[in-house]
Amino acid sequence: MSVSIPENKKISPFLVFFVVQKMQFGIGILGFQRIIAKTAGYDAWISIILAGIAVHIVLWALFKMLETVNGDMISIHTFVFGKIVSKIFGLFFILYYLLLTVTVIRTYVEIVQVWMFTDLTTFWFSLIFLIVVVYIIFGGFRTVTGMAFFGIVLPFYVLALFLFTLPYAEFDNLLPILDHSISDILLGSKNMSLTVLGFESLLIFYPFIKDQKKSKKWAHLAVFSTTMIYVYLAILTFAYFPENQLQKNIWPTLTMWKIIMMPFVERFEYIGIANWCLIILPNASIALWCSSRIAKRLFSIKQRTTVPILAFICLIATSLLFTRKQVNLLSDLVGQIGFYLNFFYFPLLLVATLIAKKVKKNEVGS
Amino acid sequence: MKWVHKILVIASIAFFLNGCVKKEILDDINLIEAIGFDYAGDGNTSGTILYPIYQPDQPPENKTLTAKALIKKSILQDIQLQAANPIVTGSMEAVLFAKELATKEGVLELIDAFQRDPGVGSGLYLAVVDGEARELMDGNYGVRGNATFISNLLENNIENEDLPKTNLQKFLFSYYQEGQTPFMPQLKKISDEKIELNGVCFFKHGKVVETISSDQMFFFRLLVDKYSNGLHRVKIKDGEAAVRSIRSTHNFDLSKRSPLEITVKIKVQGIVNEYTGNEVKPEQIKQLENAFGEEIKKQSQELVDIFKEQKIDPVGFGHFVKTRKRKYDLSKWLESDLKNLTVKVVPDVTITEAGVIE
Repeated sequence: MSVSIPENKKISPFLVFFVVQKMQFGIGILGFQRIIAKTAGYDAWISIILAGIAVHIVLWALFKMLETVNGDMISIHTFVFGKIVSKIFGLFFILYYLLLTVTVIRTYVEIVQVWMFTDLTTFWFSLIFLIVVVYIIFGGFRTVTGMAFFGIVLPFYVLALFLFTLPYAEFDNLLPILDHSISDILLGSKNMSLTVLGFESLLIFYPFIKDQKKSKKWAHLAVFSTTMIYVYLAILTFAYFPENQLQKNIWPTLTMWKIIMMPFVERFEYIGIANWCLIILPNASIALWCSSRIAKRLFSIKQRTTVPILAFICLIATSLLFTRKQVNLLSDLVGQIGFYLNFFYFPLLLVATLIAKKVKKNEVGS
Repeated sequence: MKWVHKILVIASIAFFLNGCVKKEILDDINLIEAIGFDYAGDGNTSGTILYPIYQPDQPPENKTLTAKALIKKSILQDIQLQAANPIVTGSMEAVLFAKELATKEGVLELIDAFQRDPGVGSGLYLAVVDGEARELMDGNYGVRGNATFISNLLENNIENEDLPKTNLQKFLFSYYQEGQTPFMPQLKKISDEKIELNGVCFFKHGKVVETISSDQMFFFRLLVDKYSNGLHRVKIKDGEAAVRSIRSTHNFDLSKRSPLEITVKIKVQGIVNEYTGNEVKPEQIKQLENAFGEEIKKQSQELVDIFKEQKIDPVGFGHFVKTRKRKYDLSKWLESDLKNLTVKVVPDVTITEAGVIE
């Protein structure tokens, strides 16, 4: 049942922090403020905290499952449902991670097209981008983790740049607190799902962690830090925009940068967006790696063969999305799937795992 | 990977990326620095763009191009017909609206284009022109080009003088904020080499409904900006003094809930810049403080009365009430509720220094 990974391919437990945080922090952050404020208004920062707490609970559930079977997601499914059903679920997860990769790349290309170069072709950019991604994945999971590390450390200064909005911030906008009903706020939390998802990739890379018990606190710390970043950004955004103006902006995070004026660079967004490439590169790499890793577990095909094939599928899918509407539909879809997967399916799976464990124990006992 | 592969990959990346997007070389584009809109009669709007032509060892030459159009968005295309190079909006510094246009047609449709354009910064200055925008842009102000002059003029007045903080973001903020209406500074061309900031225009539904003079601007700023500064002349019986406010703050308080009453505490810390009387003794300082406080009270009250009469709310009293009262409905704010609001101004003036002369 358990999966053995050679010691030299494993990562230190504290690196889990970077992988988990990286998967959460990516594309969603560019526009989540508007989506959560749609229902929860400017009480939406409470929604973020609630969503964060929910993620902590689910993360706990994931660790519990993984510890029970001492393997990865496929082992859990085999343990609970048997071999054939686990293969079907595996296929679904391959698709899910492919979809995630496509969303990340396509959303980024859209931003470049709208903000910088209108005539950038999706295909060529995705091709180059995916070549880099494939190259990273060829280096193994350790290289992917390394990229995640740099994807956080190098562009970290970006967060400080939002403080440029402070002279225009009216924190009164947030008052009165709790002006919305609890159900509205919870709906806001649900709309956070696209932004917080990604931490479930733990289910796939768990066997690659060296001292798995120690990694727990790092994973939780990662979730906590992303939640804090989201709250920080949401509060700054809500203070900067009146509610009606926020609803007009598709990427409030980028619009906030428009206020930055520096003598040596007229429009800061250009630097920021170019930098965002570094932020999403590890995201796409981890997602695609997960996809190919599941394929390997299911069919025992080498990742070296599956990765280029999967990347090619991504390339075609990315190039086939043309309009804002389609891109929006895709991210909504991923958000929905992520929501039901993380907050319904995985807790249920935990219950099933625990029952299966009991039953199997009894069988052995009798 | 073998080194041959590496070189191949790098070469192909360089090759592919080269043809990916359109290039914009600085010498081959017209970088608009300011754009002005005038009323041209019969629902027509005429637009004028200002772009500098840089020459060696000389101040940039201010070049303007004008076109008239019925649909506002097409003005730029029409101007393009007269320009030898593509027009680019990336470094725009100021947008000017003729007062006639802003009063009759409104500015919202025009501003939408700047809000939508990702290349235009939020720090862009918007201003109303008392007179024709085109005429103002045709002058020759300063050695750094007209647009830079206009934006520096506004910036300086915000940083050091009486003009409340204003730019595209501020305008949009107060436009979209429920229970608040926007305003813009007003410029006037005095001669071919001079522009003057001569007031603030208040908007309602995108149209100018009221203008205050630059004297009232100081008091308006005290009400609208959290931190402000500026200079004001105060008269007492011994003489007249110019008091520079170093750091003024205001504080809103909802003192009564029904009927609504807002107490605005205005704290001014100032120094005496000029004094026409003989001596500045503690006694005179006391008098100055009181006189200044009285004037703040009187002038702010006048401003509030203007707002009530015109059914506008540039200070954002409505929004303030909403933040203090749960589920407050602002839909009838401007039409009826604003009228019933009482605004009480409580000034607190401290004069700390009187210069190096006693």
